Amino acid sequence: MAADSIAMQSPQDLGEDPQTDPSQTPPEVAPADEKADSLWRDFWYAFRGNKMAVVSLVLIGVLVVVAIVTALFPSVLPYDPYQQDLSASFQEPSLAHLCGTDQQGRDIFSRILVGTQVSLTVGLLAVSISLVVGVTLGAIAGYKGGVVDTIIMRCMDMMLAIPSILLAIAFMAALGKGIDKAVVAIGLVSIPEYARIVRSQILSVKENDYVAAARVIGDSDAAIIFRHVLPNVLPSIIVRATLGISGAILDCAALGFLGLGVQPPQAEWGDMLGRGRNFIFSAPYTMIFPGLAITITVLAFNLLGDGLRDAVDPKSRRR
Amino acid sequence: MAKYVVKRILQSILVLLGVSIIVFLIMRVFSSDPAPVVLGEHATTEAMEAWRESNGLNDPIIVQYFNFLGGALTGDLGTSYYTHTAVTQEIMSRFPATIELALVAIIIAAVLGVVLGVVSAVHKGSFVDGFSMILALVGVSMPIFWLGILLIILFAGVLHVLPSGGRIDPLLQPVGGTGFYLLDTLLSGDFEAFGNALQHIILPAVALSMYSMAIITRMTRSSMLDTLNEDYVRTARAKGLPEGRVTKHHALRNAMLPVTTVIGLQLGSLLGGAMLTETVFAWPGIGKYTVECILKSDFPVVQGVVLLIGVIFVIINLVVDIIYAYLDPRIKYSKEEG
Amino acid sequence: MESNKNVMSRRKFVELFGAAASATALSSLMTGCGSTRASGSGTGSSASGTADTITFAQGSDPRGLDPAYVDDGESAKIMANIYETLLKYDKSSCDVKPGLAKSYEVSDDGLTYTLHLQEGVKFHDGTDFDADAVKKSIERQLEGNRNDDMPYASFVFGTASEGNGVSTVEAIDSTTVKITLVAASTPFLKNLAMSLASPIVSPTAVEKAGGNVNESPCGTGPYTFVSWTKSQNIVLKANDSYWDSDNAPKTPNIIFKFISENASRVTALNNGEADIIDGIDDSVVDTITSAGNSLYDEDGMNINYMAFNTQSDTFKTPEARKAFAKAVDVDEMVKSLYGDYAGVASSIMPLWMAPYDKDVTQTSFDKDAAKSELAALGITSVKCITYSNARPYNTKGGQALAEAVQGYLKDVGVDVSIDTYDWTTYKTKVQTEAYDICFYGWVGDNGDPDNFMNLLSDSNVSMNVARFDDADYKALIAQGVATPDGDARDDIYLQCEKMAADKQPWLLISHSKNLAGYSPKVKDFVIHPTGVVWLWGATKEA
Repeated sequence: MAADSIAMQSPQDLGEDPQTDPSQTPPEVAPADEKADSLWRDFWYAFRGNKMAVVSLVLIGVLVVVAIVTALFPSVLPYDPYQQDLSASFQEPSLAHLCGTDQQGRDIFSRILVGTQVSLTVGLLAVSISLVVGVTLGAIAGYKGGVVDTIIMRCMDMMLAIPSILLAIAFMAALGKGIDKAVVAIGLVSIPEYARIVRSQILSVKENDYVAAARVIGDSDAAIIFRHVLPNVLPSIIVRATLGISGAILDCAALGFLGLGVQPPQAEWGDMLGRGRNFIFSAPYTMIFPGLAITITVLAFNLLGDGLRDAVDPKSRRR
Repeated sequence: MAKYVVKRILQSILVLLGVSIIVFLIMRVFSSDPAPVVLGEHATTEAMEAWRESNGLNDPIIVQYFNFLGGALTGDLGTSYYTHTAVTQEIMSRFPATIELALVAIIIAAVLGVVLGVVSAVHKGSFVDGFSMILALVGVSMPIFWLGILLIILFAGVLHVLPSGGRIDPLLQPVGGTGFYLLDTLLSGDFEAFGNALQHIILPAVALSMYSMAIITRMTRSSMLDTLNEDYVRTARAKGLPEGRVTKHHALRNAMLPVTTVIGLQLGSLLGGAMLTETVFAWPGIGKYTVECILKSDFPVVQGVVLLIGVIFVIINLVVDIIYAYLDPRIKYSKEEG
Repeated sequence: MESNKNVMSRRKFVELFGAAASATALSSLMTGCGSTRASGSGTGSSASGTADTITFAQGSDPRGLDPAYVDDGESAKIMANIYETLLKYDKSSCDVKPGLAKSYEVSDDGLTYTLHLQEGVKFHDGTDFDADAVKKSIERQLEGNRNDDMPYASFVFGTASEGNGVSTVEAIDSTTVKITLVAASTPFLKNLAMSLASPIVSPTAVEKAGGNVNESPCGTGPYTFVSWTKSQNIVLKANDSYWDSDNAPKTPNIIFKFISENASRVTALNNGEADIIDGIDDSVVDTITSAGNSLYDEDGMNINYMAFNTQSDTFKTPEARKAFAKAVDVDEMVKSLYGDYAGVASSIMPLWMAPYDKDVTQTSFDKDAAKSELAALGITSVKCITYSNARPYNTKGGQALAEAVQGYLKDVGVDVSIDTYDWTTYKTKVQTEAYDICFYGWVGDNGDPDNFMNLLSDSNVSMNVARFDDADYKALIAQGVATPDGDARDDIYLQCEKMAADKQPWLLISHSKNLAGYSPKVKDFVIHPTGVVWLWGATKEA
């Protein structure tokens, strides 16, 4: 379900631990900064060759545009997504209402469009939280080693020991409902993944000559991490973050479905689906379209993540 | 090897302690005061204070933690606020249902996933390959609860071929035994009940397995592609061995190594997915129960379930790691992190 | 140990009643290593062309099965088939008829009730039903013995120290019981027939269970308890030695299934997994009937309302409450949410119950007036709490209702924030949260006007969520309880209704019909206006 599951299964994940599978040491750990440019160029060429990934990138672009435009200019929507009209409840999909209307007579299509804002925001914010905290912790652990490493990584193991959706729900049960809390809950639970990737990559680059050289010159630890180590880790982090967004959107929908999500009348896909569940026979469109919206969005991020990974990892590209 | 196993076990114990701390923090420190929830309608301030006192909620937080830990170690996870029944008992009476569902789901996921993955790899670029990859993509992208509802509409609502929810017809329900209905009915030779239980488990298990099946398919395919390109496989092929034999005897066995790990790990994550699947299918396991308890702020139960799943998850990880270490000679135990 | 107990009782049951069918014989051979069925009889049918089992699906588990310890309809529905009361309601009204008491006399001062009990009645555990059992069943709920977990005890048997209710229960001889009240009470006879608190429980069973029989109910009723698998089902079995031949159970097994989602219950009915389902709303009526199943709809005895917190700053004046009320188009809302299966409430009591209430008028919808009045009062945001579950008086659930009201208030420039809780949590929240408005409802227990009207005078906040505290109103209620049935009493409650409409502590919404879907094969089950279901007369074609 959750982002952490994705982490555990994606092929390159098993390469996370260099000890576990030495054959998969990521190739992007190229030892010099000046090579970064060409690395990115290679990457782009490889990515462009993947039709599905490009399509998904375009799709995500459209979603982002929808989210921004509906937020800034709500008047472009066919209907006010919050305006109830009880005399027009449960109208079947038609030209007037492409996806029908819900119990309160609100246009489902408009609500789905507006729902893009919530899903994308939750996805991005939650991933940003786990990214920032995870990368920092992973970098410290990998670079410092020793006791610090042990403590941080054991903490990460503890968090990984609880399925993310369960942990997120437990957080929300304690903190109370609300989309802001959902962001925090979803963000917190996927910190360990990023910490693990960053740490294992740092372990494999920190003994390299150029890092040793930087240290001899007298660069500070932070400078070394930021200037020499992180740029090399970035590609795989981006891949994971992309897949992480899809996981966060799914988790967000799950929380909404369970009724732990948004404050009404805000539109959120999982919440809409959860409500529609009571009308699966009389008004199936109330749950079919929000479900489609979730699936398509998640699919787009998954495809993009796959495309990015293939571009980053020439070995998988070969397939 | 022995040293590695001992070390992993010690680490796991440490992780479990940490899990108990996380669970404790979330439920006791961050959440709201349980006294009004428990005492409800007629409670006065004094009554609530007395309740807090008698339940040890006024003790220093460290003392509370050790009480909780001590209780957990002896199998006492407290009492449900709502039913006033021991949490251990509430959980255990529902746990077999969840395990049964998760096991059936993982079997479906593993069998279908491996078959699709192998066929896709061997016939790379074929129709089957394309189909499996699309299925795998949709499988990881579809919300499990939506899939579940769609299955109910189709198989129970429209076709009327499978039941919409529940575990078994109440009159056929086995009593005593292991709590695993499929096993119980089979052991007692009650085939009518067995068939009935099987009908009930199909839809939820399929919905729950979808995600894992997608992951396993992809993993098998890429692992298989890797091994098919390995030198020894090429050698075998060069020796003139038939392709079927090459696939079966040389590639498959080696490709299965990482797949086994993934299957093991999936079993753990299925327990998380079970919360949603059980809610949709009215499957009387701990997942559905936990959701209900969260919604009614029954913290001791939530606490117990999260802890239990954490324990299972850690144990699965431990077992998977040990098996992996045993199977894969390439692992260098000495360099194990930590 | 709940599960152990269940296992024990189920095992015992299998031993006692287990059919000699060959399958069972085989399975009992295997018990050593495996298990046995909960029912030895399976899903077959008896020779007479009627089915062995009727399955009733409801939304959730009962809270418990001891009538003294529960307050919810889900429990009452099941208990009504296991227990009996001294007096019984008529099938379709709350008129009382003899039950476990074959006759009774009331003293002229209305303080002493002498009840003559049926003879030869036994509880399911073999204990004799006698005056002593009645005494114990009531006395455990009287002040002094009563505990905090007995939600209906004070309601039914009163609180002697507050000047009402039962003072003593005496067993004159084995078949005569004398109940003495502290003050005369017109509703008391009806109270004795209620499905909560009043049913007579086996004293032996209570003692054996250590105080309450929530998990091991034992009454004198037509069905005996077999098993309870939490979150799944409760199985009942016909009481073969039931005393009342007119009401003898016709179907050997009754199963209550718990399916929380409305749509899933409908699927279960249409799929043949359940024979009767309740807790449905208008959106599934077509689905039910088009699958060849039938719809049961009868007027319910309930009120669905929104309460203003009369102690809050926002709504402490009737003017503010009325301004808000004018913003809501109750007619449109009821029509849209409930279709044909609920009527707009023009009085607190349903009109069929108290016909004099037709003279009462409620605040009518006037959007423009609402807008200007609310603006003048400076009301721009309102905090609302509500429940998530469907309730008998609100089949769509509190959230849909709250959101509809939110939509109307948005039109007049007021933001309503909504927090939703499941029903159990919600009942606590109405006491602890600082809300401006909340949603609630009531299902009548005994058909007496006092049962509805005293809600607004109750000092218990969980009954009186509006926190309405009006001395005149309370005086009327006290007068009503002591006045014998008749025009004078009706007039008192009419005044109560008018006062409630005028002071507007509540915004009345609807009276819901009791809705159920059932298979046309099932005949002769009764859904009483109080919401409980009587299954002993029911049969199902095989």
